[in-house]
Amino acid sequence: MHELSIVEALIDQVDRELDQAGQTGPVRRLELSIGRLSGVHPDSVRFAFELLTQNTPMRNTEIVIEEPKAVCRCRACGAQTEIDELVVQCPRCAGADIVIEGGRELLLQTIEIEEPTP
Amino acid sequence: MKIVAAKKILKVNDQLAAENRKQFDAANLRVVNVVGSPGAGKTTLLEALFARLKDRLRPAVIEGDIAGSIDSERMERIGVPVVQINTDGACHLDANMVANAAKELDLNAIDLLAIENIGNLVCTAGFDLGEHLRIVVLSTAEGDDKAVKYPAIFQGSDALVITKIDLAPHLNFQAERITADMKRLAPDAPVFQVSATCGDGVAELADWLVQTLATAKRS
Repeated sequence: MHELSIVEALIDQVDRELDQAGQTGPVRRLELSIGRLSGVHPDSVRFAFELLTQNTPMRNTEIVIEEPKAVCRCRACGAQTEIDELVVQCPRCAGADIVIEGGRELLLQTIEIEEPTP
Repeated sequence: MKIVAAKKILKVNDQLAAENRKQFDAANLRVVNVVGSPGAGKTTLLEALFARLKDRLRPAVIEGDIAGSIDSERMERIGVPVVQINTDGACHLDANMVANAAKELDLNAIDLLAIENIGNLVCTAGFDLGEHLRIVVLSTAEGDDKAVKYPAIFQGSDALVITKIDLAPHLNFQAERITADMKRLAPDAPVFQVSATCGDGVAELADWLVQTLATAKRS
């Protein structure tokens, strides 16, 4: 459910980026990075975006979502394992001395806008 | 054409949170974000903590609820300044709501501000409010497997408070199990076992809170 407020923040951010670039849209495509460990569901983001952009110039925007995985680094056995969800032990040796890197991204990467017709 | 933004989607929330923290620091005020499920005992825990701390410092509370003012009425009854936030359905507090609520308080007249978040183990994890410490409250009745099932909220917290510990014998709740899980998720976070109604463990938690808040700099 908090995807709704995240998408509100996203839409505000797109508006600001367009302002800064001196562009008025319309927006054709947005590329987002939503890490596997961010707790944010890409499907819910799409749904919330559709809901919030009804009757707005952004309503036909295509949403492209990249979902970076996280890496679990084990300080005991040295394994570096890609993970989809948070783990509390090394998937290889079951050791508990692990560091989890990445996977928490929640980024607006690019905004593609339609070329103004000359 | 393409605009490369590469910006955090919650950047505005993070910026507002940083502003909140700056404002709290300027008032020499320490802030703790209290998260946990509905019914975990967050309000009861705060009542017990304030009763113990009121001779040492001046507390206040921001109560976050989807609706109603039951919790803030409880705080008023024990004489703690309180601001109620009603989110009208939103499942978490954000930094903007806290900034607006903080305007209702005389920040220079208090030393400890507790923000009682919406009862939720998921959504509250993603939003920095400008606090110095975040503590996660879990009652024995919820089960000892919750750190594994909701890891993000536990991993991002500075302490775990297990409440209703007096009920543990009736519930097949093994404090060792969740304590071990918490150690893996947040190695530096202490685990407290408390019964706010019986008073067990409240003194230890209060002492830790005072000591840790004096130095904590969450960012």
